[in-house]
Amino acid sequence: MIFNALVNAALIAPPAMAFSLLFGILKFPNFAIGGYITVGAFAAYTFNVPLGLPLPLAAAAAMLVTALVVWLMHVLVFQPMEEHSAITLLVVSIALTLIIENVIRLFFSADVRGFEIPLERPWKLLGARITPEQVQIIIWSLVIGVALHCLLAYTWIGRAMRAVADNPMLAAIRGVNATRITAFTTAICGALFGLTGVFAGLDLVIEPLVGWNLTIPIFAAAILGGIGSPYGAIVGALLVGLAEEATILFLPSTYKIGVGFVIIAVLLLLRPQGLFGTAEIRK
Amino acid sequence: MKFSMTRRSLLAGSAAALMTPAILRAQEADIAIGSLTPNTGGGGPFGPNITASHKRVADAVNAAGGVLGRQIRLYQENSETNPETAVRAADKLISVNKVSAIIGTFSSSVTLGIMPKCQSANIIQMCTSSSADIPIADEKGLVFNFQPLSPIWGRAIADLVLSRGLENYALMALNNDFTRSMMDGFIERVGTEALVQDPFYYNAGQSSYRSEVTQLIEKSPEAVFIPSYVTDFTAVYKELYRQGYEGAVITISLSTGDQFKSTVGAAADGVIHGFPVPALSSPAYKEYLTEAGLEDTGSVQHPFGTAGRDQMSVLLLAMEKAGTTDSAAVAQAIWDVTTGEGKKTVYNVADGLAAIRAGEEINYSGASGSIEFDAEGGVLGRDFQLSEIQDGKDVVIQRLEY
Repeated sequence: MIFNALVNAALIAPPAMAFSLLFGILKFPNFAIGGYITVGAFAAYTFNVPLGLPLPLAAAAAMLVTALVVWLMHVLVFQPMEEHSAITLLVVSIALTLIIENVIRLFFSADVRGFEIPLERPWKLLGARITPEQVQIIIWSLVIGVALHCLLAYTWIGRAMRAVADNPMLAAIRGVNATRITAFTTAICGALFGLTGVFAGLDLVIEPLVGWNLTIPIFAAAILGGIGSPYGAIVGALLVGLAEEATILFLPSTYKIGVGFVIIAVLLLLRPQGLFGTAEIRK
Repeated sequence: MKFSMTRRSLLAGSAAALMTPAILRAQEADIAIGSLTPNTGGGGPFGPNITASHKRVADAVNAAGGVLGRQIRLYQENSETNPETAVRAADKLISVNKVSAIIGTFSSSVTLGIMPKCQSANIIQMCTSSSADIPIADEKGLVFNFQPLSPIWGRAIADLVLSRGLENYALMALNNDFTRSMMDGFIERVGTEALVQDPFYYNAGQSSYRSEVTQLIEKSPEAVFIPSYVTDFTAVYKELYRQGYEGAVITISLSTGDQFKSTVGAAADGVIHGFPVPALSSPAYKEYLTEAGLEDTGSVQHPFGTAGRDQMSVLLLAMEKAGTTDSAAVAQAIWDVTTGEGKKTVYNVADGLAAIRAGEEINYSGASGSIEFDAEGGVLGRDFQLSEIQDGKDVVIQRLEY
């Protein structure tokens, strides 16, 4: 069970971090992530199956494509609407995910697809069954967590990203170009959503709803960790992964899909800032 | 602008006005029938065959002079295997095209979705759907189902796998009416003592199926039965394989088509699947193969296209028999031309029309099965077939004849 939870967490931690980063900069919960992940999955499929690239290369290309799509969506959709309230932008982001899904359905149909990579039987370790694919997902997720930490903590651009997230006006006074930093952040987050699409395609199946199905667990992980806090998102992903796996021990499996919602509801009641977020004071 | 009318234009206008009702009368004389089929989406592999069958039968009847002295006008719509799209299409068929019947719906959600509109407009429906809710929702007795209900699928698949000597099972079904009642039918036949644990359900669209699969194979059952649809079954099967399960995996053939096989690749080998199939030895099936330009390979081809042929044939025979397109009379005539002993058996619409016109009682025996309806408009039985995927292809391992 612990291993199952770890794989779940590895799948949702990178997009939960990206979701948190995006929220930090743009100040609204962007539900278009479902559509972005689906774009990643289908881009990787296109490079891997019809174009015949090996999966690692296809994954890298899909990350680039998704980064571009997320940046474009920011420039074309959200930037012109930045004067609107967070609720308006949230609704727009839901509409955007529906549009993206349906455009994909138009070109690829609703058929189920998979990458050109054979399924593998598991290794048996201490009673747990692990496949090489799942180990790769966990390792990559860890690498991304560390890389993102290094980027935010030790580089000039990371500090600028945090500064813009904290106080855009003060950052601008200090000479940080907020537009460029925002573009960079959306592209980094886009790459993470693209990679999640690849992981989801490996773990589940590639179909137009693949991203939407992951949205609630990702959102729950980000809220649990404290929305806006990328490290919190990692812990949040672990807890959501564990909670989903543990549910089936006590409740029928059909309730599993509601676990994410319950976590969100309980947290908003008891600790709205999340486990690692800081309470915001509004005047 | 000044408007002037010459005697010539008056004459032309009057002639046109007199002509118009004639055109309208000609259109009214046609019998409008709606063909609403799953040409894309989950039923995509089957819809085009159903559509083609509807059209072939209608064209053949039109070429031979039509039914009740009127031509058949077929209106084709794609349901996209999606109830919302289907309801919009049904709306158009009913209010714009004024159809007498909507035939060819495939998934239960589509058949049930359009049913309120069809019932209020007194329109006959013919479908290949399996939800046990269909006869309950059909308050006016206007729905005819050319597919057995899902508990019958479960019982038939259980009978077929029992004869393979499998002794214990673990069961998990997608949480919807079609698959839940199929699981009940399966349990009815194998008995609860053959189950290693309580059966359970999962939802479609989950972010992972890991814990469900772990629970399913926890007690190392000899076989698992998973009534499902292709999207969730593919994800569940990948997980079963990755968790090292080596027993028999049994499901329905709708989940194991080309999409499944190309997604999981060589790992698909060994999966056992079953579903209702045409009666391969029946003369009507052989006629169907000729009509569709297919070779008789001895294996099942066009499992739903055959039902499409039977739907249109039965509908037209019933209209001829009833002598009207009034839905209540046609519904009654559908039983008359399909069900009951001591009548002349016919295998195609041309022979049936000739016999009816000669005053004979007929029993239409179709390409998809013998087509006998119960009191609720459900087909009484179909042949079932169990196949196993070997080297990426379906190999028939058993058949159950009705």
